[in-house]
Amino acid sequence: MTAGLTRAVPWQPVMTGDDAVAVAERGALGTSARVAVWPPRNLGAACAAVDEVLAALDRQASRFRADSELSRLHAAGGGLFMLSDGLAEAVGVALAAARWTGGLADPTVGDALISLGYDRDFAAIDPDGAPPGAAAPAPGWQTVRLDGVLLRLPPGLRLDLGATAKGMGSDRAVRAVMAAAGYQGGVLVSLGGDIAVAGTSPRDGWPVTVAEEPDQAGSPRAQLVRLAGGGVATSSVGTRRWRRGATMVHHIVDPRTGQPADGPWRTVTAAAATCADANAATTAAIVAGARAQEWLTAAGLPARLTGHDGQVRCLGGWPAAAGGRVPVPSGCHVYAGARPPGGGR
Amino acid sequence: MDTSSRGGLRHVRRMSNWTAATLIVGTGAAAAALAHQASHPTPVPAAAGGTAATAGTAAVPAGASTPGGAGPQVTHSVAATTASGVTVTTTTRTVNGKAIVTRVRHAPVTADN
Repeated sequence: MTAGLTRAVPWQPVMTGDDAVAVAERGALGTSARVAVWPPRNLGAACAAVDEVLAALDRQASRFRADSELSRLHAAGGGLFMLSDGLAEAVGVALAAARWTGGLADPTVGDALISLGYDRDFAAIDPDGAPPGAAAPAPGWQTVRLDGVLLRLPPGLRLDLGATAKGMGSDRAVRAVMAAAGYQGGVLVSLGGDIAVAGTSPRDGWPVTVAEEPDQAGSPRAQLVRLAGGGVATSSVGTRRWRRGATMVHHIVDPRTGQPADGPWRTVTAAAATCADANAATTAAIVAGARAQEWLTAAGLPARLTGHDGQVRCLGGWPAAAGGRVPVPSGCHVYAGARPPGGGR
Repeated sequence: MDTSSRGGLRHVRRMSNWTAATLIVGTGAAAAALAHQASHPTPVPAAAGGTAATAGTAAVPAGASTPGGAGPQVTHSVAATTASGVTVTTTTRTVNGKAIVTRVRHAPVTADN
């Protein structure tokens, strides 16, 4: 997430070739945000609703702006904090994701990412920095306590909510858009390729391209699928890479080692009941490495995995053919396990 | 009791049985519907008093989409699920009546992929 989002970048219209939906895009959170709505007249209200969600999320959970709520917690060096509702939800979702994934997607990797050089917005990282320091396992999500809005953070521990925050942001955004639209029509929101949908989907679902990088959307390696509900997310070690000494590093850290995950899968896409679930699952699968298929199958999630050799593997009913519909699991893990304010626990 | 009274009682008893059966079936259906809802949890509802934008958990039919939706026919891809490697901005401008779409990557490309 990046600074300056309180000054929203203007939305640009995107022509897709279909007049029945309206699509717009803008830079956000160090990547791009995209909104698609029907009926098209809802686009203005939808963009305004997404702007509010993005600005709030950036103020709450950005590691890269000194005035964010999360940065202020880190600056305090640990202790007991009373969080805003929004940050409490974000931390709760991250901890629930860690519990669900058995610690594969762990928010306590913040220090490991910083020691690798990911201490600022990605666009500002020195691409040829000094070699990283000695790696150490992450402290572990069990060391963080969240009770309603009360957070106890061990001294010196820094959180990174990257495995869930964008997915959660997409989930928040589609709910906000539906509220702004009076629950009429349908919406799709993508934050950096993590997509949530809500409302009534187009016939056969929203057409979505699965690609490893944004500019590969039209390549033969990309796949068109249809999403009628829930969310879909993609994690990859092929992007957000930079050099430290003689080593290329990337942003998906294995909490067990504190080093970049080093498994056989380059990119994983998964669908789930919510985008935050999908977001956590794809990170977990990359970290799980050789056990990714086993973990995804046990979780019951449709997924598409691309190996370093370019081979693609589809699991859990993920359509093998172009244009196929992605089945959406009904169970939600990261919100059900979160401890939201007023949740009564 | 005369014949017409007995017939009337039988009619009332029959109607009563039908009413009871209808209630049993209705209660069963309601219980099944509730059980179905309980087995399909949705994201947690909003914190009391929080706004949709800041709390991000508005108590709405969440991410629930209509499966196989009754919306319009849409044939072209509207978004891509990809790794969030870089900021990509799409600019659309009209030249001689034709839409020109430009995509710009903002982050430094350091990947060897």
